[in-house]
Order: sequence, then structure tokens, then C-alpha cells
Amino acid sequence: MADQNKTAEVKSSNELLSPSELFEARTRSHKIPVRGQKDFLPSGSDQQRERLQQSLQEHWKLVSEERVERLGNLVKAVWIPSDQRVELLSPAGKFWQTMGFSAHGKQCLHPEEALYLMECGNLQVFYKDLPLSIQEGYETFLCSKTMSIHHYKVFGHLKRLGYVVTRFDPSRVPSQYERQLNLAQSRERPGRRLKRKRSLSPPSGHTETQEGATAMGTEEERDGNREEEDMNPMPEDTNPKLKDTNPKPENIHPKPEDTNPDDTQMAAQDDPSTTAEGCRSWWSKGGSPHPDLPGQSQNTGSPRWDFTSISFPDLGSRHQHPRSLASPDPCLLPGAVGSVGPCDVVPWLNRLNLREVRMSRREQERERDRDRYHRDVNLDREVQRCRNWTEYRDLLERRSRRRHRDRPAHLWEGEVTPLHDPSQVCLTGELMDKISVVKSTQLFEGASSLKCSNEWRISFNIYQPDTVAEFKKSTPGKPYSRMCVCSFSGPVPDLQTLKVLAFQSGDVPVTYAVEDHGDISFYCFKNFQIPKDESF
Amino acid sequence: MDLSEANITKQVSKDDAGEGSMARELIKINFCGSTPLLWRTEDLKAARELGFVGTLVGSLARQPRQNTRLGRPLELLLEEGRLMADMERAAVSGLDSKSEDPEVSPAVVEQYYAGLENSFQEQSALALEDRKMTLTRVLTEKQKGEGATKLHINTWHLCEKYPFSSIKCSGTTLEFSKGQEDADSNVRNRLEALDRSFSFPRTAMSVQLCTARAGLAHCPQERQFLTADWPMPQDERCKCRFQVFKDLRRRGFYLTSAGKFGGDYLVYPGDPLRFHAHFIAVCVSMDESMPLCDVLAIARLGSNVKKTVLLCSSGESQDDEREEVVYTSLQWSGMA
Repeated sequence: MADQNKTAEVKSSNELLSPSELFEARTRSHKIPVRGQKDFLPSGSDQQRERLQQSLQEHWKLVSEERVERLGNLVKAVWIPSDQRVELLSPAGKFWQTMGFSAHGKQCLHPEEALYLMECGNLQVFYKDLPLSIQEGYETFLCSKTMSIHHYKVFGHLKRLGYVVTRFDPSRVPSQYERQLNLAQSRERPGRRLKRKRSLSPPSGHTETQEGATAMGTEEERDGNREEEDMNPMPEDTNPKLKDTNPKPENIHPKPEDTNPDDTQMAAQDDPSTTAEGCRSWWSKGGSPHPDLPGQSQNTGSPRWDFTSISFPDLGSRHQHPRSLASPDPCLLPGAVGSVGPCDVVPWLNRLNLREVRMSRREQERERDRDRYHRDVNLDREVQRCRNWTEYRDLLERRSRRRHRDRPAHLWEGEVTPLHDPSQVCLTGELMDKISVVKSTQLFEGASSLKCSNEWRISFNIYQPDTVAEFKKSTPGKPYSRMCVCSFSGPVPDLQTLKVLAFQSGDVPVTYAVEDHGDISFYCFKNFQIPKDESF
Repeated sequence: MDLSEANITKQVSKDDAGEGSMARELIKINFCGSTPLLWRTEDLKAARELGFVGTLVGSLARQPRQNTRLGRPLELLLEEGRLMADMERAAVSGLDSKSEDPEVSPAVVEQYYAGLENSFQEQSALALEDRKMTLTRVLTEKQKGEGATKLHINTWHLCEKYPFSSIKCSGTTLEFSKGQEDADSNVRNRLEALDRSFSFPRTAMSVQLCTARAGLAHCPQERQFLTADWPMPQDERCKCRFQVFKDLRRRGFYLTSAGKFGGDYLVYPGDPLRFHAHFIAVCVSMDESMPLCDVLAIARLGSNVKKTVLLCSSGESQDDEREEVVYTSLQWSGMA
């Protein structure tokens, strides 16, 4: 008796359908019975009891129904526990447009996607040669912390509403910099272009990507050149030029006696300190090296040249033109060059355009207009009287004090001053801004430097149902929203979490899906600017 | 509360009677993470009979892509599960989820595929039977009606109705003579032709996608559940929640979660399928102080959804050791 009971129990607990039941299931209805109006209070009447019985019956019929699908409509797959994914064994169905990914040349599904398709009756997942029931699917697929049953309930809810739901990958969110430059698309595009138009010759494309790429390339090149230039020490750079312009130093007859006084004079004018002992001029007198210089130049520390102490000849000066330049101090030249003879600058100077700028009448007028409003500080007599910066600063101080003479000193001279000077006129709105002590902040403010706890993370990207037709997994575009899953029993996200997640999501809003025993409510936190009334 | 008090005694007595008559089969609670779930329809029914409602959280088999009616599994509140366990009516599995993957013996796999093959054959036979019946019915109907109509319309309908059909009826534009014998032989011929040519393609076979775990063969060890094992954190608030749940349940109310109303439980006077909730139960510890604005906010919310807010606190009663729950409700009093 007990045995019989047991077998009966096993059979019913298996909830397995017989072949005839399976066959009958072909023609079963797909309508959902409508629930009637509810009553207010149980009255104990037979009518009420009957109605409850009927409702319950319908309810159990609906709930107990098993999924029966034709083999031809089912996609077969296997569960790979080590990779936490499901590999398809037969070609995917329509769902492939919005779900799944390819790995190792195989079509794969994430566990939550597989489970959802199992629940929809599109997929049969095998593990160890046996098909998994929905229950086994729940128990094996939803064991990770990042994809718990809470996440799946939100996932399933959104999928049933028709949304396209994909896993959120923080590395695929374009950074703020990329967003500013609109680089997000161009980064995604090259791969696709490569795949499609490999045969095309590169210059034929006119896409932004390529333009961007080439522009960046030249920029880089230029940068590189500049860097090289910067790296070159000055003498090495100038020396070849000097040589070039001085093809036949022997033919030129330098007059060192004539030029040298000029030279030194000039140097003295430029920088009075050059006359001091120990300082040197690039252009040494008579081409003889300074006694203590060679030793200095041997010090090959990183600052090889102290450019403040080396004076360069001013060849553009209009007033004094040395006819030739004495040869540079050999210690400033690279070893291989040796000594360079004096340089005749006359042919050089002939090439310079030294004519005065002649302005047209209009230009002169413009200049005059500008001068009328723009006074040269140096023309001010008081300023001229200043001998150094301290005196000039004192002068400015004195002037500003004179200007603010009407301000009471006890208000304006202390460390704390009024927020606004009543003598200055400004708009009401500006005034309100000025006197607001506590500034309002934005959600993004300071978010980049905050760190988020591991508890909070964005789980899904959401795309609206009406975009399904154009949805492409390779280029999903900007999501409608991003989803963070939490529950009523857990903590409420704090401001730091809100900031960090909002920052992580970039320009896509973050929605918080709160799951409570099957009820799912969605919340989002938004910046709100209190409207200002500036009419008064 | 007077009214509900009166109700309660009745409900409780009914409950007791029900328990006595029912066979004591354990309800199997399966944990998925920390969520208690019921999977088998039988368990769902048994739980409902005990007054535990729960929430359906899976896709409905009949129409999976909608959210208004959901299907198995049924999610239980932790309190529901614990009370079931207290009543010694529940068995639990899957709580220590890191149990080893049980090996599947090849015999089980073999058995499964043999069963599948068997099912296909039976389905094929059933399909043939079904086809024959339809054909006979159609032909006899034809016969009764005006004899000389073209059959092809009907056969066309037939094919439409069974798109999996691989049979192509030969001579669809066959005409009948009026003679009875002719018709009979015709039917016979047709049936024989059907017998010969009928094949039921494999892709048309139906298979079941099981909802609950199939068979007990590879089910992890189930055991009678001990209350101490129940994964409920034993802090003040949870204790209070459980006491309130137990008490309201004892009084015959049906309870569901009230997260969306900002409370702990929604309290129904009868089965939620037929009745609206009357109360929103909010559990507050006896010695916990509550800001007045919270009380006002929740009372305002309750009146907006036409429900009464119950502040429920559990504590020990004065006269005996038994724990009792104190209910307080808030009402706007019009003083116009």
C-alpha cells in the first residue's frame, strides 16, 4: 500500500505529461482568463464560496500548465558551467538579434538570457545529456552574486515588457573626454569598416573616422618633430646653418678689431650681468676660449647650457649692425666641429626686411581709435616715476584706495568683507548668485574622484522596445537607460553611490530597480534646479 | 477591530479542521540564493490551503511574454516559509547551495531517450488516428450533403489545420458518384492511402519543458526542516515581523508583502484572488520611538489607497508568558 502510494506520488510530483497529453497540448487555448471584480468582505455565502472556488480552479489550471513545444521550434543548447554560459547546438532563432554573443566561433548565451528563453519555450538546455527543467535553470544559472535571482527577476520583467536588455560593461562606456570629442562612434566603427570594406583602398573613404585618424597622425608626427627639435641642444642645431651660410670662411676677411667692441657693447646693453666675472659670451673675443670654460663644458649634467648667461647677438636690431661676428666659443661647440671662424653677417642682413612698416590711412585711423581707449601704461607720468615693481604696486594700491574712499573702512578693510558693493550695479539674478552663500551642486560634481563600494553596480543596459527592429548587438548605440538592481530590504543608495553610478553611466540616466517579492518598482534620481524668480 | 475579532475565531476553527483531514505531505521549499521558492503545483496548492499566498515570479507557460499574470515558481516570504517549517509542514533543499554536482548515471540518460522515442512513436500513432478520424468525418459529411462537390476545399482545410502534415492527398479534386458503395470503398481507399503515406516528422513532435525538477533521481538530499536552520536573521525587527505574521495568520487573514505601500504586510480578509486588502501592517517594536511625521505619512498613504494602517508591535502580555501582538490604527477624526 505504502509502495503504491509512493509510486503515485512520484508520478504526480514529476509532473510529467503522457504522450497523449502532449498531443492534446497542441490544440490548447492561449487565452488568459479574465479575473472578475473582487468582493469587499467574505460574507460566508454559498455564492461567494462558489466564485472563489471557480477562481481558484482557473488559477490552478493556469499555473499548473506545463510548457509543451514542438521539437522544430526548439533551439538546443548545452550548459558550460566553467564559463558560465550556454552554447547553442542548433542555429539560433529570432532572439539572436537582441541576445547572445559569439565566442570561439560558437553562438552563446548568458545564463539569464538562456533562462528567459527557456521560460519562453524557445530553448532547451542540456546538461550532462539531460534537459534542464526551469527549476534547475534557476538553481544552476542564478548562483553568482552579480546575477542573482533578484537580477533575473528585473531582467525577466523588462524582457517581458519588450525591452532589449544587455549586460552592462563599464569598459564600453565612452569616457567623458571621448564623449566631448564625439569619439565614441569612431572608436567603434573601424572594426566594422575593416570587416566590410577590406578591399577598398584606404584614401577612398571619407568617413570622420579616417579624417580623424589622419589628422591625429599628422598631429603626432608634428609633435614628434617638435620633440626632436626640443631635444637638440642649441649649438648643434645652429652650427650646420652657420657652416652653410659660411661656405668659404677663408674668403671672408673678418675685422675682429672693428666688430669686437660693438659686440661686447651690445652684450653689455642686453644684460648687464655679462660683464661680471665668470659669465661668458657665446661669442668669445678673438676666438680664444675662456680659460675656465672647457672644464665647465665637460660637466655633462642635464642642464648643459645656462641660457641666461649666454648672450646671443641681436641681428634684428635696427640700430647697430656688426659687420661680422666673432667665432663662437669653441667650448660651446660639439667636439667634432672644432673652431668656427668669424662670421660675416652682411649678406644675412641684406636678406632681412628692415624697412619700416608703412600703414595705410585706414590702418592708421584704426590704430588711433584703439589708442584712444587703450592707454599705454607707460605714458602715465606717475608710472614713469616708479623705479621698480614695488613702487608701481604701491601706486596701484594708493589709487584703488582713493577709488574706494566712500567705503567704510570697518566693513571693507577687514578680512571679512561684504558680498556685494552697493555702488556697483548689477542684475538681480547676478546679485542673487553673488549673495548665495551655499552654492548648489550638480550630480556629476566631484564624482570622478569618488570610489564606489562593491555593493553597488550597474547591471543592465536597457533599449526601448520600439528600437528592437534596428537594434544591432555590435553597435547597440546609446542605451535608453541603465539599471541598478536593489531591494527594499537592502540599504538605500547614498549620495556617493548615486554620484559614482551616474558618473559611470555618463550621459545615460541610471534607473534603480527595487525588487520586493516579485513587485518591481523603478526609481531614478535626477538633478533638479529650483526655478529662480528674477522678475523683482 | 471588533469585527475582525469575530471573524477570527471562525477562521481559526476552520483551519484546525482542515489540518486534521489533510494528508501530511511535506511541502518542498527550494532555495535559490536566499529566496524560498515553491515549484510543484501540488506544493503551491497545499501552501494555499494552509493560507500562504506567496507571489508568482516566473513567466506564465501559456503566455510567457507578459507581466500581468505570472507563473511558477512561487516566491514565499521568509516568514511564510518559517511558519510552514514551524508547523512541520515543509521540507527544504538547496539552502546550502554549494553541494556537489551529482553524477548522472548513463542508465538515467538512456531511460530518458528511450522514453522520448517511445513518446514520439505514440504521438505519431495518435496523430495518424486523429487524421483518420477527421478524414472520415469530412468524407461522411460530404456524402450526406450534395454528392458531387469538389473535395479539394475540405482537404485544403485539413492541410491548413495540420500544417505538420507531410501527406499529400492524391486526387484532391476527386469527385464522388452518388452510389453508397462507391463512397464506402472510396473512404476505405483513402484511409489505406493515408496509412501508407502518413509520416509524422520529428520536428512536429511535442516535448515537454519541465517546470519543476524532473523526478527524484537527481534531487539533492531533502530533509525535514529544523526551525533553527531557517536563514532568518534574528534581529529585533525580524522577530517582530515574524510575531506579527504568525498572529495575523492565526487570526485567519491572508498576507502578502506590502513593499509598494511602504509597509510590511498587506492584510486580506479572505483569499487575495477574490478580496481586496483592508489593512497595511507596519511592524514597529514596542519600545521603538517613531517620528510623528512618519506616522502621518503612512496614515495619509493608507487613506489614499483606502486601507487602514495598522501599527503592529509584539510584546509579552501581562497575565501570562505568551507573546501577544498589539495593533494600533490611526484614523482622521473630522472636527468640522
